[in-house]
Amino acid sequence: MLDVAWILVAAVCWIGASFLPFFTRVDDRWSQGLGLLGAAFAVVGAVRVLTGGTASQLDFLFWRGAARFEIDALSAAFLLPLHLVAGLGLVYGGEYWPLNLPKGSGRSLRLFYGLLVAAMTLLLVARHGLLFLLAWEIMALSAFILIGTDHENPEVRHASWVYLVCTHTGTAMLTAMVILLAHRSGGLLWVPLQAGNAQALDFWILGLACLGFGFKAGFLPLHFWLPAAHASAPSHVSAILSSVMLKMGIYGILRISGLFPAIPWGFGSALLALGALSAVYGVGNALAQRDYKRLLAYSSIENLGIIGMGVGLGLAGRAGHDPWLVALGFGGAIFHVWNHAIFKSLLFFGAGSILHATGTRDMEALGGLASRMPRTALLLFPAVLAVSALPPFNAFLSEWFLYRGIFASLSRGYPWSAGLALAALAFTGGLAAVAFAKFYGILFLGTSRSPAGEHAHDPTGTMLVPMAILVCLSLGTGLAGVLLLPSLDRVVAVIAPGSASLLARGLNADLRILVGAEALLLGCGFAAYLWWRRSTPSPEALSPPTWDCGYALPVRRAEYTGSSFSEAWAPLLPGLKYKVRRITANFPKPVAFRSEIRDLVGELFLGSRLERMAQRLLRFRSLQPGYLSLYILYVLLALLGAFLWMFLRGRLLG
Amino acid sequence: MSPDFLIALTLISNFMLVATSRVNKAIQIVVVQGVLLGLIPLAMGLGKYFHILLVVLAALVVKGWLIPFLLRRAIREVHIQREVDPYIGYTVSLMLCALGTGLSLILAHMLPLKAGTPVVLLVPAALATLFTGFLVLVSRRKALTQVVGYLVLENGIYLFGLLLVEEMPLLVETGILLDLFVGVFVMGIVINHIRNAFDSTDTRHLAELKD
Repeated sequence: MLDVAWILVAAVCWIGASFLPFFTRVDDRWSQGLGLLGAAFAVVGAVRVLTGGTASQLDFLFWRGAARFEIDALSAAFLLPLHLVAGLGLVYGGEYWPLNLPKGSGRSLRLFYGLLVAAMTLLLVARHGLLFLLAWEIMALSAFILIGTDHENPEVRHASWVYLVCTHTGTAMLTAMVILLAHRSGGLLWVPLQAGNAQALDFWILGLACLGFGFKAGFLPLHFWLPAAHASAPSHVSAILSSVMLKMGIYGILRISGLFPAIPWGFGSALLALGALSAVYGVGNALAQRDYKRLLAYSSIENLGIIGMGVGLGLAGRAGHDPWLVALGFGGAIFHVWNHAIFKSLLFFGAGSILHATGTRDMEALGGLASRMPRTALLLFPAVLAVSALPPFNAFLSEWFLYRGIFASLSRGYPWSAGLALAALAFTGGLAAVAFAKFYGILFLGTSRSPAGEHAHDPTGTMLVPMAILVCLSLGTGLAGVLLLPSLDRVVAVIAPGSASLLARGLNADLRILVGAEALLLGCGFAAYLWWRRSTPSPEALSPPTWDCGYALPVRRAEYTGSSFSEAWAPLLPGLKYKVRRITANFPKPVAFRSEIRDLVGELFLGSRLERMAQRLLRFRSLQPGYLSLYILYVLLALLGAFLWMFLRGRLLG
Repeated sequence: MSPDFLIALTLISNFMLVATSRVNKAIQIVVVQGVLLGLIPLAMGLGKYFHILLVVLAALVVKGWLIPFLLRRAIREVHIQREVDPYIGYTVSLMLCALGTGLSLILAHMLPLKAGTPVVLLVPAALATLFTGFLVLVSRRKALTQVVGYLVLENGIYLFGLLLVEEMPLLVETGILLDLFVGVFVMGIVINHIRNAFDSTDTRHLAELKD
């Protein structure tokens, strides 16, 4: 009871914080303070549940039916990153998008930011089909308006409309799922189901849940709304969308599958394969992007794919009654949810700082920012290591869980999907490192490639402090992973009822060795740094211009570009197109070269078909000639039609 | 005076409205129709209920004085031409109106109504008036005549509402009247704006606004 009250109070605080900016007398700080208070409440509640492990609930009547708010370890596992990122994003956004911009969207941004957080909070504690859908819809609509914050830009408008259509398609599937689930359990309240004999119904419910939630999580064929939407939103909103809102899809799959006493065979394997494909596809596309926020968005697809692999592994384990696999799969997935939330919001905050300072999202226009934005560069470096799953940062550990799980699965004879997943996970890790070497190298190293980045400077502390906190969290989670194992066990126990707490025992030794090695590595690195500092003369004496090697007077345009960096990987990227005219004349005119990357599913496949359909639908425009009289005639015809139907129905149907 | 007589007069006023070619006359007819309808509850012997008396009074004031006042002022200020200017000719309109009235008689016969409906002609007249309102709305070009059509349409609804007049709360009736008043008021403003934008009150010009 108490913990659920913490959460509800937090939601109320967020709603209050979202409406406060509309009172013109009130300073932005009050609304920020209220939001942070809400975040603190929720974090306290979530941590209490994660460490204590007892679920608390609040029963009430909703529309004359029983409804329930409940916080258990699974809800808490998602509430924690939600409120962490939301709180930090609120502080960050205070400077990133000031309240009183001449454009005037600062107020709507704050309103829907708060509503988004409150809706996600309610969604995570609701145990009632209708309440869940309600919160889901508020979340989706707030996100739509947040994505369209900069709606004067046509590209942003397009991205937000695509998002809206996609999210509502997903909601339609979820509505069907909720109805079927109510049919199965006999009520809208979500309680663990009894073993039934309606195999087909169970299959449909789970299938619809996977489709609907998969749309939100951005699994492979349903991911196409994501890159544009995340690139277009204000950066702190991108951070919360990417690091929390996508995870609501994962939460939904876990929550719904946790209600069933048994999972149909093959479900886990399918999800494992889908996750593997998403991960490879996401990272491959991330590698090719020129827009750094789009790169981060594709990297989110990759990470959601990795989380999906964990979920699939856990579901396969449940179907095969293999508790060790269940623990590793679900535990790895939840751990990666936390880790991804930490480093992806850090990356988006960093990207936001760059965008704030330079005003462009094009990597090829930037470069050499390390000397102009040294603090941002320093804070982003750990994030780049974390996203590439390198030790000693956090994502390394969660991928370790997954590797252990996949190897366990291989040794127990679920070969095909696990084999695929193993290859995909290894490949993804490698490609992510390449993609983020490009991200960091092109943005921060070298010299500026255009005038855009020449006057860049570090943001002030309001934007840097949230990033610094996230860096500490990333490193801390990486080094203190052992301490999280009991909490992860509690979460797994909720997702897969009846599983013993295996992680704390099984992985204890692993993680201790890993942490020891990491600490050793860090120590060596630090010692090497000290030694290097002492042995080399002061850097001022030896500071040639960057990219000076081999060029006497380096020209900006001669610099190595991001596209040339990823060009070697072009065979992997079916959406990459080169446009170049062949030189035939003896005295050729100037020739231009262009390359562009387009999303395989969204832009190349769906885009052209939708365009054609829209052309065909234009025919119906003649129904709207603009004459008032004609519209009234339509009303009259509809009325007469209704009358006719009333009479004919009696005659025809008897 | 029996209510059937008043309802018959209402039906005749429908025909007159469709056949008239002058805007002024159309307004006069609609005022007469409004007053006739306002009197029907009294003719039905419902004058003993206080709230119905109130409704009658309000209907007479709004339909007999306020709305014609607004419409005439609109004519004066906007300099609307006297001609009704229909899409469909008067003869055809008349025939359509007759057809609609005939159909309403049949329809009303087939409607599953509560037993013991007070007045025989009430339902067909309501449907016929509704239909006439639609006809005027669809077939007349000027914004002002469309307002007239809207008023007739509302009269049809009012007639239908008389079926339930004993149970109908005061609030609903006053709500309808208020709705009507606001409708006419807004239409007056719209008429003015159409005139300002296009130098004419022909609703055909509104087609330029579609995207």
